[in-house]
Amino acid sequence: MKWATRAAIHIDRAACAWLIRRHVDPDAEFVFVTDPAQVPADATPFDMRGVELGHHQGECSFETILRHYDLDDPVLWRIAQIIHEADLDDERYDAPEAPGLDVTLRGLSMICTDEQTLHHTGPIFDGLALSEIRAR
Amino acid sequence: MARAARPGAPGEWVLLSYRIPREPSTPRITIWRKLKRLGVAQISDGLIALPADARTREHLDWIADEILEAGGSAAIWIARPGMTATERDLATAMAAARAAEYAKVTAEATAAADRDDTARLSLARRLRAELRRIHRRDYFPPAERDQATAAVEALAQPVVEQEEQTS
Repeated sequence: MKWATRAAIHIDRAACAWLIRRHVDPDAEFVFVTDPAQVPADATPFDMRGVELGHHQGECSFETILRHYDLDDPVLWRIAQIIHEADLDDERYDAPEAPGLDVTLRGLSMICTDEQTLHHTGPIFDGLALSEIRAR
Repeated sequence: MARAARPGAPGEWVLLSYRIPREPSTPRITIWRKLKRLGVAQISDGLIALPADARTREHLDWIADEILEAGGSAAIWIARPGMTATERDLATAMAAARAAEYAKVTAEATAAADRDDTARLSLARRLRAELRRIHRRDYFPPAERDQATAAVEALAQPVVEQEEQTS
């Protein structure tokens, strides 16, 4: 399936792409657009204004995707808290990992294309998931 | 922040024009708190501004959506002030608002100078978090910023070490 999101990806979009590839659609293909009007007709948009898989009721897109696809793994929900704080920084959750992850992603986005950022963040989120499993 | 296209020329701002129904009041208050937390400049009733960058644009984009979900109307604009003085006035007002917040932190840190190490360290932790919150909405750092940082860091130093430094 084809998935579309805004170009110049940051934490929420990178994490959503990882989540989609790992838990929703292993063959996911990602398209990056600069305006909602450019989303291809056959693509599912995420983390964009006015779409179903975006921010809703104060939650970030990662949380919306977990709800939408009934993903109830507590490890994914813990990662969701970290992504929420890194993205929205509203102190809804206690996530000391968030500022570090935020600056890592900001740094990556300065030196990488969106495709490269996705390539590098895959193992970062895989590792984050594993460390959450081991911490339990 | 490198914002102006050329030195002295006004930079880009992201504006949010909006209207939220008076009732129910909960979404109205939630949205107002979010705007306050972002340190927006209020240009007029229903029109706020922030210096444009990827982060401020994204935050205001989502808030615009939230206003629409609450039954209001909202639009995002990218704009450049017509006169340097307009931008300077906005920046001055925003810097003054942050300066007051930093001054409050400095006063709190200074007032605790005589307390024991444990109490000072615990206050330093809380004030560091408060400083981080202020930094995030500080687009035109005033001189009070450095003073507040120095006051909080001094609080985190054990008293003995400070005496050695001053002797």
